[in-house]
Amino acid sequence: MDAGLILEWVIKSLLMVFGLLGAFAYLTLYERKALARIQARVGPNRAGPGGWLQPIADAVKLIFKEELIPSSAFRLVFILAPVITVVPALIILAVVPFGPDVILFGRRISMSVADVNVGVLYIMAIASISVYGIVLAGWSSNNKYAMLGGIRSSAQMISYELALGMAFIGPVLLAGSMSLMDIVEAQRKVWFVVYQPVGAFVFWIATLAEVNRAPFDMPEAEQELTAGYHTEYSGLKFSLFFMAEYIKMIAVSAIAATLFFGGFRGPFVDALPWMGPIYFFVKVVVLLFGMIWVRATLPRIRYDRLMSFGWKILFPLGLLNVFITAVGIVLADTFRYAIWLIPVASLSAFWAVAWLARGSVGTGEASQVRRRLSFND
Amino acid sequence: MSEQTVTRTLDLAERFPGAVTPDERPGYEGYLVQPGRLLEVTTALRDELGFDYLSSVTGVDYLPEGKMEVVYHLYQSVGGSALVLKAQIPRDDPRAPSLVPVFPGAELQEREAYDLLGIRFEGHPDLRRILMWEGFEGHPLRKDWREPYYEEDAKPFKSRWPEGHVWRAEDKNPFHKNVSYPAGFNPETWVPEGDAALYAALGKVEQRGASTTMKTDQVIVNLGPQHPSTHGVFRMVVTLDGETVVALKPVMGYLHRNHEKIGERNTYLQNMPFTDRLDYFCSMSNNFGYALAVEKLMGVKPPERCEYIRVIMAELTRIVNHLLAIGFLLNDLGAYFTPLIYAFEERELILDVFEAVSGSRMMCNYFRFGGVARDFPEGVLERVRDLVYERLPRKIDELDLYLTNNDIIRMRAEGVGVLRPEQAIALSAVGPVLRGSGVPYDVRRADPYSIYERFDFDVAVRYHGDVYDRYLIRLDEIRQSLRILQQAVRDIPDGPIQEGKPQYQVRVPAGEAYGRVEGPKGELGYYVISNGKPNPWRYHVRAPSFINLTTLEPMALGNKIADVVIILGSIDIVLGEVDR
Repeated sequence: MDAGLILEWVIKSLLMVFGLLGAFAYLTLYERKALARIQARVGPNRAGPGGWLQPIADAVKLIFKEELIPSSAFRLVFILAPVITVVPALIILAVVPFGPDVILFGRRISMSVADVNVGVLYIMAIASISVYGIVLAGWSSNNKYAMLGGIRSSAQMISYELALGMAFIGPVLLAGSMSLMDIVEAQRKVWFVVYQPVGAFVFWIATLAEVNRAPFDMPEAEQELTAGYHTEYSGLKFSLFFMAEYIKMIAVSAIAATLFFGGFRGPFVDALPWMGPIYFFVKVVVLLFGMIWVRATLPRIRYDRLMSFGWKILFPLGLLNVFITAVGIVLADTFRYAIWLIPVASLSAFWAVAWLARGSVGTGEASQVRRRLSFND
Repeated sequence: MSEQTVTRTLDLAERFPGAVTPDERPGYEGYLVQPGRLLEVTTALRDELGFDYLSSVTGVDYLPEGKMEVVYHLYQSVGGSALVLKAQIPRDDPRAPSLVPVFPGAELQEREAYDLLGIRFEGHPDLRRILMWEGFEGHPLRKDWREPYYEEDAKPFKSRWPEGHVWRAEDKNPFHKNVSYPAGFNPETWVPEGDAALYAALGKVEQRGASTTMKTDQVIVNLGPQHPSTHGVFRMVVTLDGETVVALKPVMGYLHRNHEKIGERNTYLQNMPFTDRLDYFCSMSNNFGYALAVEKLMGVKPPERCEYIRVIMAELTRIVNHLLAIGFLLNDLGAYFTPLIYAFEERELILDVFEAVSGSRMMCNYFRFGGVARDFPEGVLERVRDLVYERLPRKIDELDLYLTNNDIIRMRAEGVGVLRPEQAIALSAVGPVLRGSGVPYDVRRADPYSIYERFDFDVAVRYHGDVYDRYLIRLDEIRQSLRILQQAVRDIPDGPIQEGKPQYQVRVPAGEAYGRVEGPKGELGYYVISNGKPNPWRYHVRAPSFINLTTLEPMALGNKIADVVIILGSIDIVLGEVDR
């Protein structure tokens, strides 16, 4: 371990953190503009040309806002909670490779902060920490809305983490490694979303719940809990929560791109290494648009139905997918084309579960309630 | 009509000898009932004659005669005109029996009459102040109650311009002069004891699920008055067991401005713009109801073209209101503003029409007694035609297509917040809430006013009584309104728009009148009493949003906290009208 390596880590970490902060600022603008277009509006267009300085104006506003701490709050935890929330969001991307290795100043430099060989495990572990921040924020505020929001989020995040874990296993099995670099390299020919359509679907839904995005934004459901766990927060501490949510959006999009959409892989990346980050960026932006689109178009699911959806549909579906993937991989050792059994079988499993679930959760159940209610029979 | 009244007079007086006498004051209608026998009479009316729907309860202070009167408007839920009952009580000890045991819908209205007039309803389960704050001294609608900065009984003030220079009452009258507090009251140190009473009214709720080993604490949560989903400053005090609502009390009055007291000081015409501010989304409908009440007193009838214009405006208002109601309901469901903004787009086009005819987009002040303020400017009728034949039907279908079968909406709204039809009638629910519960009661058909008999339309009804049906019925009603509008713009004749000359000061003969219209939110009634002076003696608004709130508690109990929000959204309240 030489001094150069340490310097490399420091530089890469700083680049990463500041890059994420900048990306967060412009993600808010991106979201507002995209939402506005979907809603037949113009969106922010006052600050700077075309509204491009809006994030800076927002940041200035948030920094200078008065910070209030409720008198009956638990001060230490109240101040600590936003930090606990934002730090995992900032470090979760450390294992994600942004491009192929490059040779710079005679050193071979990898485009991730640390390419650890248990990268997937690292992501799972870090993702679980941020729930603490939210629960503690809700509890320490000494506010009933915040408390309800905190409780909701702990229940929701724990439930959906299981499905998320199941979705991680698919790519890990296919690549035979937990290192994200290896997973990207394994997608040189075919993206894993082709082998793992159901895995990608489960991952997508579970991450929406994990980062508290619509239609799973229970913990901060504005219409019910005013602002949920961050009701009592203002100024910079509020903006830390805000920041954590948006950075987590970027993080899960980047992880999804890495696991299922070939990461930085794309045509000509081997010849022109700088194309890697560009491909990666485009994939992340497209996935982020998916999240914004969902927010603009779907109403919120009710809390109890959200839980039953997570436990009764998403988790069994993830399990089935893992099972099918494992069987497919074992069979593929003997029959070369058996690998195609995985998408076929998992998609059929998906339809089977969807069909079975019609009676128990969702529209099916509600319609039955309604049929019983009808007054004219 | 008059024959019917005669037979009924005989019937009632014979049926309840000694208890009921016809009201024979000139200009008055209905019956006087002995206060002591009111419960007996109304129970019999409900069970034997089918007057099962208590629409309006209010009080009148007859200061010169030293008595008060409680006025009840009863209807049959199968349709027909009103049966007005009055109970006269002494002014120095105003006590009347509460009708809540017979008509639970009287609850909020009796509390209002208690609050504003001081009439004590004996047997009322929860008689507290409702619109005024808990430490308020006196009952403001009594004729001898003077507000701070009191100048004169009636507007316009004679004294405002004594020698040609203006002064304001505030300058002459120091703040404390007319403010009366209870003895020993200090507003600086006062702590509302009303909250304690309120929480007591929630009651001790039985621990549910006692069989399970896990013991849960119940939490009281105040939803509001500052809350994104209460559509204004409205407060719901709920007791939660986990996320399930086990008790709920609505608290209102944060926007109270004593509309009715101000209405009694205004001249008749001055009240017209004032009604705009009740339900500020539907100023045209508000105008309509008030114009009908005063026209009934004056005995004028607007000309033909004016009637058509009125119907066009009222139905356009209904479309505006229902679009907003659907948009805000979706917002309450957590759809991030998208449906709302698409609904707003259509609303703006209708507001363009309002602006063209009245000069204002929201506070239209368009109706006059015996007419409307202006005729359509050139080209505007064509725009309405274009809207109601082309654009709106298409856009309503679009809303229907994208929203109605959305899985999440159905999952959230179906089977939630159920109001059964007999409950809806008993609780005096009106409008889409009543019709969504399977009661086909629409004032336009049940007791037609203006020229609604001429149009071909259906009364929209849905039969499940849940939030989803209250959403669907608004779509249905928009479609029916479009049918009426299409006929109206086709048939509208030429002619004058005002009966006689437009007058600033109208002469209103003594008497009483109750004008009601089917407003977008339900039956909107104005009870006006004239004593021949330029100002009404009593001006009461029967506000649909206010009375529909009675249904909130029974609908919300047992549901999740997220459901309470959409149930409130499905009632569609406007606080300007609730609090008045």
